[in-house]
Amino acid sequence: MDAKYPLATREELAGLDFYADLADRYLAVDGLEARWVSFTQKEILPDRETAERMHYLVSLARAVEETLDSAFRAGHIPGTAFFGRGNEGASVASAMCLEDHEWLVPMHRNCGAHLAKGHPPRSIMSHFFGRADGPSGGRDGNFHMGYRPKRITQLISHIGTMVPIATGVAWAAKARGKGEATINYIGDGGTSAGDFHEAVNFAAVRKLPLVIIIDNNQYAYKTLLSDQYACDALVLKAPGYGLPGFLIDGTNAPLVHHVCSQALARARAGGGPTLIESITLRAAGHSVYDKFADYVDMAHFEKWTNERDPIKRLDETLIEFGVMTAKEVAASHDQARKDAEDARDEALQSPMPDPAGLTEGVFAE
Amino acid sequence: MITYREALSEALWEEMERDEDVFLFGEDIGLGGGAFYVTKGFMEKFGRDRVVDVPLSEAGFTGAAIGAALCGMRPVVEFQFADFVTESYKMIVDYAAGNHYRQMGPVPIVLRLPAAALVSAGPFHSQNPEIWFFGTPGLKIVAPTTAYDAKGMLKGAIRDPNPVIFMEYKKFYNYPVDDLPEVLRPEIPEGDYTVPFGEARTLREGDDISLITFGTTVLEALEAAEVLENDGVSVEVIDLRTLVPLDKEAILESVKKTGKILFLHEARKRGGVGGELAAIVSEEVFEYLDAPVRRIGAPEAHVPLSPPLERAYLPSTEKVVNELRDLAAF
Repeated sequence: MDAKYPLATREELAGLDFYADLADRYLAVDGLEARWVSFTQKEILPDRETAERMHYLVSLARAVEETLDSAFRAGHIPGTAFFGRGNEGASVASAMCLEDHEWLVPMHRNCGAHLAKGHPPRSIMSHFFGRADGPSGGRDGNFHMGYRPKRITQLISHIGTMVPIATGVAWAAKARGKGEATINYIGDGGTSAGDFHEAVNFAAVRKLPLVIIIDNNQYAYKTLLSDQYACDALVLKAPGYGLPGFLIDGTNAPLVHHVCSQALARARAGGGPTLIESITLRAAGHSVYDKFADYVDMAHFEKWTNERDPIKRLDETLIEFGVMTAKEVAASHDQARKDAEDARDEALQSPMPDPAGLTEGVFAE
Repeated sequence: MITYREALSEALWEEMERDEDVFLFGEDIGLGGGAFYVTKGFMEKFGRDRVVDVPLSEAGFTGAAIGAALCGMRPVVEFQFADFVTESYKMIVDYAAGNHYRQMGPVPIVLRLPAAALVSAGPFHSQNPEIWFFGTPGLKIVAPTTAYDAKGMLKGAIRDPNPVIFMEYKKFYNYPVDDLPEVLRPEIPEGDYTVPFGEARTLREGDDISLITFGTTVLEALEAAEVLENDGVSVEVIDLRTLVPLDKEAILESVKKTGKILFLHEARKRGGVGGELAAIVSEEVFEYLDAPVRRIGAPEAHVPLSPPLERAYLPSTEKVVNELRDLAAF
């Protein structure tokens, strides 16, 4: 570290503006030092193959959730639905850094991570529609699901619980010594839960191969960040656990990929966990029932959804640097839309679960 | 003969030797060998990555154990006292218990809970945890009372693909073997064995009253049955051994023979397992009953510390004898 990476001053941290301060740099926290790392978009771009896949998956995440949203309004989804609009870039770009045999421990705004890890849209749709062939067979819904064939764990509603689960998954990876790493997501609200503390501490103590991504989307349901925590940024908790941390703009998918790949490489090499705070904006309500305009600053909302939409940004950046042509980008969107709608149409043909099986499978044999 | 505590140690030791995926999480279990020394000497043998002194964080390490179990490992989690399992409640009841039902795979995890009263251990080191779990599908709940059961059931629990609430009784850990009633010290075989879940054990056969119990109160049950024998009343004593799965047939068959039944447990009567069992008997074999179904459990109070209070709180042989006499006279 040298002058190239200037120390963030106390004043800068106290007055952090997620919109302005992270535009072309990110914060790297190590011990008592927080330093700014500047980057150009060009130098963090992934190779063409990765970029194309990233673009398709990000588009697919949005298409799947928009398709689900309209399916909900058409009455096809029992219960409720939570979406990760605004988080598609961070979700996809991080999870696609995982190898096929590595585990993902997602939250409920990680449609993109599911897709990037290989969970088929068809299965996600069936799950939301409460169908027999969904991954839970209709026993749960919305993003309460895992997908074992692709090593994705399921989550429960109790926010925070997935972080300890992730430490256990990472524990197994470490115990078996094959150099596998795990990614786990938690929201800004989830960092207030005791589980977060217990798990991050344990992961740090045992140097577990784990990357914890705090998806700070600026709202925990209807609670403001200022009512959630008093530190200048959640990433500043990392040194308290003896961990390195990064504060990044999570709407910049190539940046997420760039930082996450490094954190995973460190984890796989035995360097231990990394805490990444990824800033996005929840570009919708908490759930389909949430009248978010009641409590969200709509000017702020408009600014972020217009200028920090991860998909629009990825479109523009890939075209600007000649990674994909405008035509290819449009085709990728069209393909994603078609794949999401085909998945929906097929899932709507799936049978509903048979009540005769209600009490089956309570215990494993 | 070995003690109950030694039996638990043997089970853990042998299972860890048998299967590399078996590992232990718990507070103070490694360097210190555990609050009750069940894992004394384990870290030296198996290393600190399999006998893990975890930070003080029950929810955290229970969750971590569940995560490892999802990946096919076989964690055994020691709680220092059963009482502290409330810290981990959501991890067990909401995550582990329903994971297989939600088709997200088995959770082969054992939760060792040192349970029940030990002289003046107080409100937070004396509780019986079964009622916190009994109403939740997907959890096995076992309650070994002998060294034989402790060893065979712990081995069985580790090999079981489901989450197992393994209640072990502090009172029995170091109970002098020679002081135990003969029936509570069955011979422990050489070599490997497991005790199947869902099979109650008849500790004493009888014709007049069925006395159904589990956990620490097997002692009071046997003493009371002895007293009643002097009265000329023949009491059948059954140790349920596991609550989930439940050996319902053993209960029903016994009461069909005797016509009178008393459920006995150390946990509180209200909301206790005895209530559910009494309802089953009333629903299924009402026509065989010659007297009302009776229950003995602790009264509506928290487990008190001071000796006279604790004595009054816990089910005693005297209370059991009185209840049995009352039933006999009915």
